[in-house]
Amino acid sequence: MNEKVVLTGNQAIARGFYEAGGLIASSYPGSPTVGIIENMNNYKEIYSEFSTNEKVALEVAMGASFGGVRSLCSMKHVGVNICADPLMTFTQSTINGGFVLISGDDPGMHSSQNEQDNRVFGKFANMAILDPSDSQESKDFTKIGLELSENYSMPFMLRITSRLCHNRSVVNLEERKDIDIKAFEKDAYKYCMLPPYTEKAQYFMKERLQKLEDYAYNTDLNKLEEKEETDTIVITSGLVYQHLKEIDLDASIYKLGMVYPISIKKVKELSKKYKNIIILEEMMPFIENELKINGIDCKGKEYFSFTGEIQIEDVEKGLEKAGLIKERKLNEKQRLKVPSRSPQFCSGCPHRPIYDILKKAKVNVIGDIGCYSMGVLPPFEVHNINMSMGSSIGIVKGMRKAWDLAGNKKPLVAMIGDGTFFHSGVTGFINLMHKLDKNANMTIIILDNKTTAMTGGQPNASSDKEMDVSIEELLQTIGFERIKVLNQYSYKKAKSVIDEEIKHEGLSIIVATGPCALQYRMRHPHFYVDPDICISCRSCIRTNCPPLLMKKYDGHEKLKSFIDPDMCVGCSICAQVCPVNAIKRSKPDDDLKNK
Amino acid sequence: MDGKNILIAGVGGQGLVIATKIISEAALEAGYDVKTNDVIGLSQRGGKVYGSVKIDSKVYSPNIPHGECDILLAMEPMEGYRYSHMLKDNGMAIVNTYRIPSTSIQQEVEEYPEGMLADLKQKYNVSEIDVIKVGKELGNTKVGNTVLIGIMAKKLDIKKETWEKVIQKNVPEKFIDHNIKAFNIGYSYK
Ligand code: SF4
Ligand code: SF4
Repeated sequence: MNEKVVLTGNQAIARGFYEAGGLIASSYPGSPTVGIIENMNNYKEIYSEFSTNEKVALEVAMGASFGGVRSLCSMKHVGVNICADPLMTFTQSTINGGFVLISGDDPGMHSSQNEQDNRVFGKFANMAILDPSDSQESKDFTKIGLELSENYSMPFMLRITSRLCHNRSVVNLEERKDIDIKAFEKDAYKYCMLPPYTEKAQYFMKERLQKLEDYAYNTDLNKLEEKEETDTIVITSGLVYQHLKEIDLDASIYKLGMVYPISIKKVKELSKKYKNIIILEEMMPFIENELKINGIDCKGKEYFSFTGEIQIEDVEKGLEKAGLIKERKLNEKQRLKVPSRSPQFCSGCPHRPIYDILKKAKVNVIGDIGCYSMGVLPPFEVHNINMSMGSSIGIVKGMRKAWDLAGNKKPLVAMIGDGTFFHSGVTGFINLMHKLDKNANMTIIILDNKTTAMTGGQPNASSDKEMDVSIEELLQTIGFERIKVLNQYSYKKAKSVIDEEIKHEGLSIIVATGPCALQYRMRHPHFYVDPDICISCRSCIRTNCPPLLMKKYDGHEKLKSFIDPDMCVGCSICAQVCPVNAIKRSKPDDDLKNK
Repeated sequence: MDGKNILIAGVGGQGLVIATKIISEAALEAGYDVKTNDVIGLSQRGGKVYGSVKIDSKVYSPNIPHGECDILLAMEPMEGYRYSHMLKDNGMAIVNTYRIPSTSIQQEVEEYPEGMLADLKQKYNVSEIDVIKVGKELGNTKVGNTVLIGIMAKKLDIKKETWEKVIQKNVPEKFIDHNIKAFNIGYSYK
């Protein structure tokens, strides 16, 4: 077999796992790594799942490794925080079947609440870290990671970035190799992490890394590209290596495929040959610090940004600062002044009416992570706080206590989606019952659209095609009494329930249901505006549905509302907020083609 | 063919990802090295998005530096304008004229810019077309990107049959016909 295809980094990792004889893969959906598990579905040999959260996902993959099969667990960078607890112990014990953890880092925060460099996490956890620079390497390193993981009895991290997850580049496909399932042999020193066994494990952990550092000395994972007659070497890894290759530079390159551990012996040898060592890496000075704490003189972050993506232009600029380039070829052109375009809720999104209602209610709202995080942005600007997965429930309690102590009785609202509810909201809900003050005015709105919408509609415990767990019944079991269920498309009813619950002095929970407009692709006959009736009040415009726009009609002085029929999916929310019934449903037969 | 850098700009949800996939697979079929890049995540929900495709005998970075883009595929005029500084001086812009106003325009905070096309035409080689209109005539408004790819395909040294083969592979079975027709409308445009 010698087939060349173009694959994204995510597809390449899935393919690598398949070729390596992998059997069990788990994840929690989060950009940029969602595609890994979605692509695993193409291989019938592999069992894969989106678990309730990253901690559970890791535990599933750990179990598979203990069970003797090659396993993989993928997540976005912040997901590693969630699974940190089992991870820190897993890396101290040992593996049985090969194991790789994929951490999808997001330099520049394209779709994340922070930018954390998980190479630091990998080192903290005593894992080896591989850092690919294109799709081919993403596939190869997944395979090598699994194999080395078995050879050195340790979990491996594959650190990948957003760009690489979604870039497409050419990959050579190979056959799958079937791997025998290893027997599980009882050994408390290996698998039971309690004293006295853990003390031995500490030494084992250190020895493995030492051995791997020896391996790093001349492994093919690291590539040395030497140029004659230059006194400079650039040490780099990941995508920025590819940027560097676009620039004609008179310097040698040492590209690390394995960024931890680094062979210090090798770099010391290089440092004797070269006068200048320049470190080119995105985000934190990880490689730079590794070398510096080992007494190797080098420079890096004084030339390149500590945050955001480093583009080709930035590499050139940094190299100029370092005195390695006399004249820059890439000149930044002036950007044009163009109106802004931020993300917004889709046409027919069920969250939209809720946010319109909350905006009118003028309350303090604590948001969470999901599509509804867009409640932070104009025109709604409803969320006052928006932190991390599942945090809104704990935060609302803490803030309520603080305000009550200070005598501030203003109502507080918290939002959470169904995916987030099952990910890490439930524990917060259980805690809410603890020392609950009867009069503490909190309103929690659960937006249940039956899918993990933000990342493209992966299943979760709420999905009717999967487990179909009833949020309402679960909350009743915990002991909550005041729970209202409402349909998000019945605007007036929803508004009266929400307004009333906000006023209620005590805790109330609202489960607002409506299917994700992307996932369920509803398409009812579209709506249109009768300009003769419209009074230009802009009530519909304020709901922010994409097809709505104020426009000039012939024979009308004022701007009147208009609905683009090609974008409208007919959810009727705009018609429900219009005070004069100017918005009407088009005839059912007046369909797409005839417009 | 010399190397070509292609930038695609549009609004999240317009199908930019599938467009980069089709272009990259056609380039691979034609024997080139290829790398692509698309912006994802939050911006998928109606935000500004762009992607790049680089085609050459050997490609390193998937990113295109400022002023190094040969062809700009603008799925929405304002978004094409936003990224037009990426074009080379004699670059080419293929623009879908169907407008999608952003929140700031809808909420009357900013105005949809007029005169963008005229400005682009002064600096670059511009082809303009309303792909939604073409799509409606074909009975499927989702084929717009294929029309734009058709216009571009004419300028690249990749066989027409290769494009058709790749399109067939990448669109759902029941839409193949619409997409092949859309591609041909683009291919024979002006
Ligand atoms: S009916 Fe109104 S609110 Fe619903 S999708 Fe159409 S324009 Fe948007
Ligand atoms: S809500 Fe009704 S009256 Fe007000 S702008 Fe919209 S269509 Fe016109």
